[in-house]
Amino acid sequence: MKILYHWLKEFVAIPLEPRELGSRLSLAGVAVDAIEESPAGPVLDAEITTNRPDLLGHLGVAREVAAIVRSSFKMPEAQPKESAERAGDATRVEITCPDLCGRFTARVLRAVRIGPSPDWLRQRLEALGQTPINNVVDATNYVMFELGHALHAFDLDTLAERRIVVRRANPGEKMRTLDGIERVLTRDMCVVADARRAVAIGGIMGGAETEISSATRNLLLECAWFDPISIRRTSKALGLRTEASIRFERRADPEMAERASRRCAQLIQEIAGGEVLAGVVDVYPSRQPAAELELTRRELLRVMGADVPDAEIEGILRALGFEPQRTDANRAGHDSLVAAWRCTQPSWRNDVAREVDLIEEVARHHGFDKFPPRLPAARQPARRLSHANALDALRERLIGLGYQEAVPIPFVDEVHDVLFREEAAGAPGIARLANPLAEDAAVLRSTGAVTMVRTLEWNLNRGQRNLRLFEIGRVYGIEGSKSVETPMLTLGAAGLAREKSVHDSPRTFGLEDLKGDLETLLEICGGVQAEAGGPAWLQAGRAMRLALVREKSALSAGDTKWAGAGGQLARRVAERFKLKQDVWVAQLQLDPLVRAFAAHRAGRHFVPLPRFPAVERDFSLVVADGVTFGRVAQTIRGLAVPEIENIEAVDLFRGGAIPAGKHSLLVRVTLQSHESTLTEAQVNEVSARIVAALEREVGATLRTG
Amino acid sequence: MSGAKSNPERNLAELGATSAEGISALFVEVRARFDRETGQLAAGDLAAWTALRNSWLGRSSGVITAIGDNWLKPSAPEQKRVVGKLLNELKAHVESTLEELRVRAEAAGETGAAAASGTDLSLPGLRRALGTRHPICQTLEELERIFLSIGFSVVEGPEIETPYYNFEALNIPEHHPARDTMDTFYLSLPKGSPELLLRTHTSPMQIHTMERQQPPVRIIVPGRCYRRDNPDSTHSFAFHQIEGLAVDTDITFCEFKGTVEYFVREFLGPKTRTRLRPSYFPFTEPSAEVDASCFACDGRGCRICKQAGWIELFGSGMVDPAVYGFVNYDAKRLSGFAFGMGVERMAMMRYGISDIQLLYQNDVRFLRQFV
Repeated sequence: MKILYHWLKEFVAIPLEPRELGSRLSLAGVAVDAIEESPAGPVLDAEITTNRPDLLGHLGVAREVAAIVRSSFKMPEAQPKESAERAGDATRVEITCPDLCGRFTARVLRAVRIGPSPDWLRQRLEALGQTPINNVVDATNYVMFELGHALHAFDLDTLAERRIVVRRANPGEKMRTLDGIERVLTRDMCVVADARRAVAIGGIMGGAETEISSATRNLLLECAWFDPISIRRTSKALGLRTEASIRFERRADPEMAERASRRCAQLIQEIAGGEVLAGVVDVYPSRQPAAELELTRRELLRVMGADVPDAEIEGILRALGFEPQRTDANRAGHDSLVAAWRCTQPSWRNDVAREVDLIEEVARHHGFDKFPPRLPAARQPARRLSHANALDALRERLIGLGYQEAVPIPFVDEVHDVLFREEAAGAPGIARLANPLAEDAAVLRSTGAVTMVRTLEWNLNRGQRNLRLFEIGRVYGIEGSKSVETPMLTLGAAGLAREKSVHDSPRTFGLEDLKGDLETLLEICGGVQAEAGGPAWLQAGRAMRLALVREKSALSAGDTKWAGAGGQLARRVAERFKLKQDVWVAQLQLDPLVRAFAAHRAGRHFVPLPRFPAVERDFSLVVADGVTFGRVAQTIRGLAVPEIENIEAVDLFRGGAIPAGKHSLLVRVTLQSHESTLTEAQVNEVSARIVAALEREVGATLRTG
Repeated sequence: MSGAKSNPERNLAELGATSAEGISALFVEVRARFDRETGQLAAGDLAAWTALRNSWLGRSSGVITAIGDNWLKPSAPEQKRVVGKLLNELKAHVESTLEELRVRAEAAGETGAAAASGTDLSLPGLRRALGTRHPICQTLEELERIFLSIGFSVVEGPEIETPYYNFEALNIPEHHPARDTMDTFYLSLPKGSPELLLRTHTSPMQIHTMERQQPPVRIIVPGRCYRRDNPDSTHSFAFHQIEGLAVDTDITFCEFKGTVEYFVREFLGPKTRTRLRPSYFPFTEPSAEVDASCFACDGRGCRICKQAGWIELFGSGMVDPAVYGFVNYDAKRLSGFAFGMGVERMAMMRYGISDIQLLYQNDVRFLRQFV
């Protein structure tokens, strides 16, 4: 809200320049963001927190200023010159919904002359960003900005039977508001009506048919109090926020209604002439006695941790209108530890209802800077998340493997999301937003792959060709009426695995790179195994399902628990993203990785280094296509020779002297004994057994020459 | 190796050197000859060096061996001591000089070979392209480390929440004006299902944590939050926060202030000043905005701090006793503080990033900058 420096000065003496005042207000909780000059003098632009409707008027801000500078605060007393005729004889007011309207005051003015407002008033309104309309409307706005309470002036002669009924709107009741829009109302909305129809939406906006026009002569001046929740509901339902609704929805001061009405009548009389009828019609069903509050030094010390002197406490609370009275037995003593004050809650401070609220009032005006900083005592060890070590280790490896970490926003287009979904039985449903901002961000992703492909797409479209990216983040779903959030690890790659340089030749990223990276990465989780196959979003023949060795060994044979899948993005899916390049994606659930990491960590044990030399033997095999290295290795291991330490595939080729339908596989076997140096005879014996087994089991022949 | 007066092939008597002076003169002459020969050696000529070494240190025919055989061995005992000492000195000189020459010759030889093969060290080495951590994760990690060091444990919670945890239990009842400042995404669910929303802050974990454990509580909650704001350079509908909560029997505003000041100095540097400005949040009382003196101008006022000298960091305050009511904590005995800071804001400040959207595009040219 904008605050005029000179307007404040009408209520309080301010020994501070505008800039200094702004910074003092900020430090007391009224955040002044900027100070500008205007024809009406300096304007302070303040951010008013929603708990302080009293600061939506100059009077309330002046009261804060008075507490800051501890100077006296002058409550303006307004008294229009009243004529003999009584307002109560000219109109009647009835409230049929006291739960929605707690007070309604009406003053009647006769023979006013509608015209432009005087310059000083126009200048002030313009400085606040308001457009002056005519003297009567401007006066109601002026008083709203002065006292923080909204008012409304009706053309009395347009009100049927010149009387007011405050009631619930009839279902479907229609009314055209001042902005020219026809509003359709509902039962839970409060309207100000005359004998026939609604003439205003209570506390929000007046109606067009009863507004002040150049022909208006007689006025009914409304100043009321409406229930905050009702105002908020109605304002939201109608999509109509006004200066009035903002004040009422934050709970305006019901006591201010009559005073603001009186002040406004006086101002209208001053600038538009006319006659103010005697008295006010005041229907006040929700009048409540002021609440009493207690503040004790004990509680102040318990919350704030440092003391504030008696004089300071009393000075602050008095300036803010809390009328503090010492009530403890020790009230002759200064700064007594048992000091207690009884305070009265001012009608404009609904936000201060408890002792802790009084403590805040004292603390913020005393100054937060006066409380000494201390670190809290340590009571227990600090713990990281239980999976933090696993994530650190995975991230460290991924970065070592050249993958850059991505953090995408998990909102996606449902059309894209479904491309990556595997409709397995029991899979959670899509988590759709009820109120998305955009169609392409209307669901929470159900896979990490969808956002990874979009990230690859973003970079490829910007000329970045060689990509390796990873993300650790959640995917979302709905199961019944419950939400499911699953952490995932997603990898993405495209372009070259090795770039061309003076030292090296280029090499395109392929399935073996993705597999190798996953194998290197998941060493720390006890290893990963891949099998051909995968979800439909991966290209057939270039897709693999991934299982953790640790998880697999815990399951019975033939039963596989897949930790994830990876491979080349299916052409069909790539085309939907207009990707011309081959891109590679792998996706793994994080929780099994974290479990396997912990188990692997716990299971690490030292194995004595061999004391005897190892021997390598190469077997150049010719096998039929379809005989995999895996089967070859399995066959060799099947011999259960304890000296077989390692089996590696060193070379693989087709063509040349190799007949069609077969290929050559060079297998290197490392033999190692922990008991003795292997003799030539021993090595030859094992080699012969290996060759025999391979011939027998997989039909391999040894290549000669 | 003959002709000179100091011919090592002859014995001392033959050379007419019987006095100590005479013997000494012979050694001086031998040494001078050695120095002359080494002086003539061409740099990098390893073959010449080998020949020289053989002629002096060769086991069967070298000068040193000859002196031992012809001068030392036949000498009388008292003469032997003098000759032995001088021979050792000579041998040490020859060995060390030759070793030095070898190192020099090899080095010269390598440089020459390199020049011939065209090694260009201005070319980059063969590097492995490593990845980088996302700046948001780096910032989160740094924030976590600071709070871990003063006893705050890390906890996590769901991003999809109920209105109860996101609002009601935090003292934000329905129709509270504070809900306006947190425009909320709701999930679309079958009719009759309880409402679910995307949390607008990490504060719901305050409630979950206090429901689960008794004080002392010292936690931070890093995580993603969502607000239905139209995206621009400072708004994103998904962003990260770190929530903090400390509850105990002896935590006052002073401990709150000490913690916040410690954090600001650790994160922004030891000279940074902290300012607490009264504010309002429904779940804290008293509430405060934490400002830090501007890191760019040290509080003098500049473009970054909009001439204020201060930069708003995050909202915080003492836990409102009403919140304790929702978790069955004894508000008369317990007190605590809470804060919630935007991680993107911290990262943008730290790295001078002007547009929040850059953080989510994951353009590798951007990511590579945070090595």
